[in-house]
Amino acid sequence: MGNMADRMGHIRPPRALLVKFPRGSMLGEPGNAKRQRRIIMDALEALSTMTEPGTIKELTYRWKKP
Amino acid sequence: MPINLEKFKAAYEKWVEESLPDFRAGKMEDVIKKYPFVVSEDVPWTVFRGHPSEKTIALVTSGGLYLKDSQPAFDAESIHGDPSFREIPRTVRPEDLGISHPHYDHSLAEQDVNTIFPIQPFIALEKEGIVGKIADTHYSFSYVNDVVTLLTESVPAVIARMRSEGVDTLFLVPV
Repeated sequence: MGNMADRMGHIRPPRALLVKFPRGSMLGEPGNAKRQRRIIMDALEALSTMTEPGTIKELTYRWKKP
Repeated sequence: MPINLEKFKAAYEKWVEESLPDFRAGKMEDVIKKYPFVVSEDVPWTVFRGHPSEKTIALVTSGGLYLKDSQPAFDAESIHGDPSFREIPRTVRPEDLGISHPHYDHSLAEQDVNTIFPIQPFIALEKEGIVGKIADTHYSFSYVNDVVTLLTESVPAVIARMRSEGVDTLFLVPV
């Protein structure tokens, strides 16, 4: 996973999820276990659904303010 | 190897020489702007067969995590960064972990380390049978500029360790 599209373009990971979260909290807001689980489930799904090398899927989850 | 290390090495040595004064002055924006980012010439690829419930999964973070009581912190001063890694056991408790990485705000991860190292949700999925096994050992890197040492020493050591534990699936969290 990653949050910087340009860096991911350099690194070219085989399968990637792009999130809109800040550096230092890549799986969402601290304590949001539901969100963390959702992103991991997205990643597990990507193992079989991403069949093209270098696929990057943008996740639309937004940071929830406390 | 899909990365031309010789080409990188020459550009990197020049960058170190030219950027050292700015690095010492803390002008990180200028330093990063000039960094000769490695661009992979190819996408590494292995076809995924089977189901997550049959796999052994390891986590890799670059959040600078280390075990406060038994491992040294990463070097947060050198222009080369720190290309070494720390092994983090699956049994780790959040309070066992320190963070040494000079270039991001640690406050969110300090509240909940799962935001950069989601070991607890992965173990929950293991208990539910959604993933097969969460490996006994996971890995943290920190801030690294010296890609040569990273790729020729640290990464082969990590891969050997993962293979010895039967890891076949990785979840990478760059920070």
